[in-house]
Amino acid sequence: MSGNDSGRDVSRRTILKGGAGIALTSTLSTLAGVGPAWADAKKVVIGAFADGGLTPFKEKIIPLAKEQGFDVTFLEDEYGVTLEKWFADAQSGAGQYDLYLLDDPWVPQFGAAGVLEDLGAAGVDGNSKDWIKPLIDMGYWPPREGPRVKGFETAKPTLVTVPFVGDLQTLTYRNDVYPNGAPGTWDEVLEKGKAGVAAGKIKYPVVFRGVSGNPIVTSWYPVFLAYGGEFFDDKWRPTFNSPKGKAAADFFVGAMKQNAPPGVVEFDSDQEGAAILGGDAGAIIQYSGNALKSDDPSASKEVGKLDFGVVPKKEKAIAQLGIFIAGVPKSAPHKANAIEFLKWYTSPATQAKLAEAGSIPVTRSGFAVKDPGNRLIPVALKQLDAGAEPRPRTPDWAKVEELLGIELNKALQAGSGGGAALDVAAAKVTEYLTQAGYYK
Amino acid sequence: MSVAALKQGRERSQGAGLDLALPYLLLAPSVLIVLAVLVYPLWDGLRASAQLYRYGRPIAFVGLDNYWQLWSDPQFLNALWVTVRFVGLAVAFETVLGLALALFCLREFTGIRLLRTVLIIPMVITPVVVAIVFRLIYASDVGMFTTLSMAFGGGHVEILGDPTKAFIGLVALDVWEWTPLMFLILLAGLQSLPQEPFEAARVDGAGPWRIFLDLTLPMLRPVLAIAIVLRAIDAFGTFDQVFVLTRGGPGEATRLVSIYGYDTSFKFQETGYAAAMFVAIGLIVLAFALFAVRLLKRIEPA
Repeated sequence: MSGNDSGRDVSRRTILKGGAGIALTSTLSTLAGVGPAWADAKKVVIGAFADGGLTPFKEKIIPLAKEQGFDVTFLEDEYGVTLEKWFADAQSGAGQYDLYLLDDPWVPQFGAAGVLEDLGAAGVDGNSKDWIKPLIDMGYWPPREGPRVKGFETAKPTLVTVPFVGDLQTLTYRNDVYPNGAPGTWDEVLEKGKAGVAAGKIKYPVVFRGVSGNPIVTSWYPVFLAYGGEFFDDKWRPTFNSPKGKAAADFFVGAMKQNAPPGVVEFDSDQEGAAILGGDAGAIIQYSGNALKSDDPSASKEVGKLDFGVVPKKEKAIAQLGIFIAGVPKSAPHKANAIEFLKWYTSPATQAKLAEAGSIPVTRSGFAVKDPGNRLIPVALKQLDAGAEPRPRTPDWAKVEELLGIELNKALQAGSGGGAALDVAAAKVTEYLTQAGYYK
Repeated sequence: MSVAALKQGRERSQGAGLDLALPYLLLAPSVLIVLAVLVYPLWDGLRASAQLYRYGRPIAFVGLDNYWQLWSDPQFLNALWVTVRFVGLAVAFETVLGLALALFCLREFTGIRLLRTVLIIPMVITPVVVAIVFRLIYASDVGMFTTLSMAFGGGHVEILGDPTKAFIGLVALDVWEWTPLMFLILLAGLQSLPQEPFEAARVDGAGPWRIFLDLTLPMLRPVLAIAIVLRAIDAFGTFDQVFVLTRGGPGEATRLVSIYGYDTSFKFQETGYAAAMFVAIGLIVLAFALFAVRLLKRIEPA
C-alpha cells in the first residue's frame, strides 16, 4: 500500500466518521426536540389545493403569521387529489398536516367520519356575531339548520371547521357590452350579449363549464337558484326536477349553449377562463380565484373592460357559496399551534389585513375595511346580501353531483332535454340515496 | 472419544443446522417483502370487498353483496363495456400497426437504426404528458384540428364534447403511445425467426404476400399472442390518460372501469364496493390471461 493509498483510507474513514456523527446528532436532536433557533416558532403545516383565491393569503398573510411567531409550511396540491389524500391522512392518523383548507362540500364527509377536532371545545367561538352566518354555518357537522342525514338526526352540531377564505359566485361581464352596469336578468345577459356579438365586440354572449360532474353542476347551479329551484326537500327527496328546476335546465342546455362557444360541452375552468379573459365571451359566472385574473395584465387581454356584479336573476339572484374552510385533523402533530393560528387568523385585525390583501374575508369586520385589496370584495358583500346558498350538506354530495352532472352533460351535448335529464338524474339519485339508507 | 473430537463433531452438526437454515434465511427478506407489499394488500382488499363502508369506515360485513350489486349497477356495466371496447379496439390497431412497422423495419437500409429509435419515442413519454398534449390537440377552442379547420375556412372541431369522437380520440391516443411497444416485441420476434424457410419459399417463387400469410404469420403467432396478452392486460388498467383527457366524459362515453373505481373509492368513499369492483376486474383479467395462455399453448407447436 502506498502512502497515498493510506492517506486516502484515513480520509475516507474520517468522512464516514463525520457523516455518522452528523446523522447521529441530527437523529438525537430530532428525537429530543432540540433544533436551531427558528425551530422555536410555532410550527403549522397547512394543506391546500391550488387556487387563485388563496394567493393573497400566501403572499400577505403567511409573512404576517411569521411575524406573529408561526412557522407556516404551506403544502399545495392539485384540487383533484387533495380530498383523497387528506381523508387518508386523517383516517390513518398519519399526521402529515395540522390544518386542511377544505372545499366546503367536503365538510360533511370529514365531519361524518369524525376525524376533525371540535374547534368549539378548543375555544373558537362559533356564535360570535362577527362571523357571516351562512359561512360559519357551513363549519358545523351535523348542520345547525336544514335536514340532517341518517345517523346524525339527534347529534349535537359541532364546529369541526371554520371559514377561511370567503368565496362565492359572482358575475364577471364586459363593460363595453353591458354599458349600463351588470345585467340584472338572464334575458338581459343574452339579449345584450347578442348585440355585442353583432357589433363585433365579442364572439359569444356567455361561457360556462360543461364538463360532466362537478363543473357542469357548478355552472348550472346559479341558474337553477335564479329560477327558484330547491335541491332536496327536508326528507332528502330530490326536488331539483321541479318545474322550476326543469325550466332552468332547459334554459341552460338550450339558450345558454346556443350563446356559448361551440365546444362548451368539454369546457372546464381553463377554457372558460380563456374565453372571458381572451375577449371572446361577454359574461361568465365564476368564483373569485378566476374573477380576480381580470385585472392581471399577464392573464387578461381585457384589463379595464371586465367588471363584476351580482349574478343575474329570473326570480331571485342567488349565487352558490363555495368557501375555503379550515379543519384541524385529530392526528395533527401541532394541534395546539393550529388552533392558535386559527384564532389569530379569524381575529378582526387579521381579517382586515386579509381583505386589504385582496381576499374575501369571512367576518363582517373584514368587510368593513376602508381600502379592500380588490374591487370584487364589495360585490361579494352585495351578493351575500342578495342571497348565496351552500350546496346541500350531505356526505354523499359528490355522488349526487356526479349523477346529476352526467345527465346534464348529456342534455348539453344534445342541446335540449334539460328537464328530462333532471327526471333521469332524480331517479338515479333517489335510488342511490335509498341504497344508502336515507329513507329508512 | 476425545474432548477435541467431541467439540469438532458439535461444530460440524451446528454447521449442518446453519446449512439447513441458510436458504430460508436468505429467502426470508424477499418473502417478507412479498407478504407486505403483495399478499397483505390483496388480503386487505378482499376483506374490504366484503364490507359495507359508510363515511370511510366499515360498518357491516356483507359477504358477497358488493359483488352481486356490481351486476345490477348500470354505471359499472357501462364502464365495463366501455373498457372492453377500448381494449379491443386499441389493442387491435396497435397490433396491426406494430406488425406493419416491424415488417418495414426488418429491412436494412440507411437510417434504419435512427428510424427504429424514433419509432419507440412515444412509448417512453410519460402518459400524463401525452394526455395533456392530446387534450391541447383535441381542444375545440384552440386545438390543432380547430386551427387547421379554421385556416381552411371551416369551423370549430369538437372532439372531446362528442361521445363517439371522444372515445375514438382516446383510442387514438393509446394507439399513438403504445404501438411502439407492439412494434418492439414483434420486431424482436421477426428477427429471431429462422431464415431458411423464407429463402426456400423465395426460391420456389412465392411472393411477399404468400410468404407473409403462410410463413411469417404462423411462425410469429406465439410472439404475437404474448404481445397481445401483455398489451391487453396493461390496457385494462389504463387510467392516467383518461383522467387527464376526458375524466370519463362526455357523459360516460370514456369512463373506464379504472376511473369509475377510483371515483367510487376516493370521491364517493364507498371503499368496500370499489374493492369488490377491482377484485372482479382482476378476476376478469386473470381469466382472460389464462384463456390466452391456454390458446398460446395450443398455438405453439404450429
